[in-house]
Amino acid sequence: MMLDIKNLHARLTDGREILRGIALSVSAGEVHAIMGPNGSGKSTLAAVLAGRSGYEVTQGSVSYFGRDLLAMEADERAREGLFLAFQYPVEIPGVNNMYFLRTAINAQRRHRGEPELDAGQFLRVVRAKLKLLDIREDLLQRAVNVGFSGGEKKRNEVFQMAILEPRLAILDETDSGLDIDALKIVANGVNQQRAPDRSIVLITHYQRLLNYVEPDHVHVLQAGRIVQSGDKTLALELERRGYGAFEDAA
Amino acid sequence: MSAVVDFPLKPEARPYLEAFSRGASLRDRQEPAWLGGYRKGSLARFAEIGFPSRRSESWRYIDLRPLQEHPLLPAHADEPAFGLEIRSLLGEIGLTAPAYRLALVDGRFAPGLSTLAGLPAGVWFGSMAAAIVERPDLVRARLEAPPSDNVRPFTALNGAFFADGFVLDIAAGVILDRPLEVVHLASGEASGSLHTRGLIAAGAGSRATVVESFAGAGEYWRNDVVELRLAEQAKLTRVVLVEEGPDAFHFGEMLANLAEASQISNFVLLLGGRTIRYDAGILAEGERSRCDLNGAFLLSARQEANILTTIDHAAPGSETREVFKGVATDRAHGAFQGRITVRPGAQKVDAQQLSQNLVLSPRAAIDTKPELEIFADDVKCSHGAAVGDLDEAALFYLRARGISNETARRMLIEAFITEAVELIDSPPLREHLLSRIARRLASLEE
Repeated sequence: MMLDIKNLHARLTDGREILRGIALSVSAGEVHAIMGPNGSGKSTLAAVLAGRSGYEVTQGSVSYFGRDLLAMEADERAREGLFLAFQYPVEIPGVNNMYFLRTAINAQRRHRGEPELDAGQFLRVVRAKLKLLDIREDLLQRAVNVGFSGGEKKRNEVFQMAILEPRLAILDETDSGLDIDALKIVANGVNQQRAPDRSIVLITHYQRLLNYVEPDHVHVLQAGRIVQSGDKTLALELERRGYGAFEDAA
Repeated sequence: MSAVVDFPLKPEARPYLEAFSRGASLRDRQEPAWLGGYRKGSLARFAEIGFPSRRSESWRYIDLRPLQEHPLLPAHADEPAFGLEIRSLLGEIGLTAPAYRLALVDGRFAPGLSTLAGLPAGVWFGSMAAAIVERPDLVRARLEAPPSDNVRPFTALNGAFFADGFVLDIAAGVILDRPLEVVHLASGEASGSLHTRGLIAAGAGSRATVVESFAGAGEYWRNDVVELRLAEQAKLTRVVLVEEGPDAFHFGEMLANLAEASQISNFVLLLGGRTIRYDAGILAEGERSRCDLNGAFLLSARQEANILTTIDHAAPGSETREVFKGVATDRAHGAFQGRITVRPGAQKVDAQQLSQNLVLSPRAAIDTKPELEIFADDVKCSHGAAVGDLDEAALFYLRARGISNETARRMLIEAFITEAVELIDSPPLREHLLSRIARRLASLEE
């Protein structure tokens, strides 16, 4: 099992409990969609899995390739192949995008005992992926996410995913705020990265993205719990009936 | 032995007075008589004011007691030493890009380490000691009259004791194609104070770039004063890099006078030294003159740095852009005090000041104190000051990409300072400073 979440409870540092017993298993090569209304705990789940501070896990466990994911620092999780596409990518003035990406990829390569990429080798890797996400090369010379449009930021997240080639990618509302053309580009970028040894968890409010990235499993998150799981038809049912229909199950 | 004096005397000034009397016969042999009045006037002024007290607003953020309790008297190296260590210091801190270089070792001109050949016509660039003898026309006007009453204490001390320094005189209209570099090195051979004086006169419409760097070994007190005069439409870019040894005191002062439509772009980077004080006093005397006064400090261990800037807008339409960034970790203490004055009648002045600071450990501290004094009614003036920690969201973003906490922090600190360095308009100088910053940051992690 790539990812095995059991009875996961987590609260904010102010004491509010957000996750109330999540159970979810993801096998290699699968695409899972986690859908839920605002406040259901979707982004908290992504944050806890990625290792963001400000959350306290009070019960349960998360196993990642058989290891205790929660015992690992955020950067170690990433070097072990976990990738979070941010809902709100952070602007970092003064840090050049190219320098940032090369530092990131080389941190992973060192971790795996592989030789680091020099500037030339790195540029070749980058150029191949730029086209995939329709990103202009000059964005790479800017500071990380600074002066990027909303759509460019989201494309940049999927671009980073393409560069870092994670084993498990969690995309936190990567579809939100995108117009239809941008959505197609992002979806295409994600589809191109589907692979037998790579799993993808799509966190989304809307069914729209799932028209382009077809999930193997769909889960409905309500009040910090998964209340229903099914195949891709569940997403269509949600779209038709709304989240309200699942409230009783919570 | 005690010197006979006919002026009021602060006790802590006494050892310096005695040192001055001991040097009298040597000075009389080496220096022209016209300099004597300035020397004595400066000494009298210092003797009268002594070391400033921490109660004085301009000196409240810096601890002068170690210096006051253990006087570091003017060092007089007979022959400057340039062994391997000096050459390696020079190799470290010197510009790699082509430059006209004037090197000073222990406060004295070191011709063997200097590269002054090929200076274009209309440029005089040489040591202060040489200028006093060979080109009094360039310096006498500045060094003949005794200093004014409002001279700062250590500027007065400098006036009494400076042994050498540099003079740069650029004729009207001359455009220099490569930077002029002044490298101050301390050999560590003798502990004491090193007083150096610089004089820059940029002629009308001239353009030049000057770099002044400081490095050294041992326990010493550097006391450097540079006066700058920019004539009409002169444009000067100046970078000051302070990388003194870990036991050194560094006091640097710049006093600049800007004529009509002249522009100075000054950047000071404070990286090394136990206690660093940087004073910048700019008089925007000419209309439409522009002053870009920027800088940064990066402090660790128990380092102290205090930047104090005073920009006096005496003429209408003059402009200031001021950005200072501070970083302090461990038990370091930094302070920025920035005063901008707009005199009555200096309408349409546009002055903006920004002081941003990162405090990276609970025992580090940075004080920032902007001060605007505006006596004209049609002006645009603003200031902003902030002290904070690294941006947690940015830190997490970097770590979520596999970058270790230490590297991520270093990247963000570097980015923070880089934003200020980007204000330097010369690419090779920017590169030089960025590489020095990267090196300093790497040393923090060890």
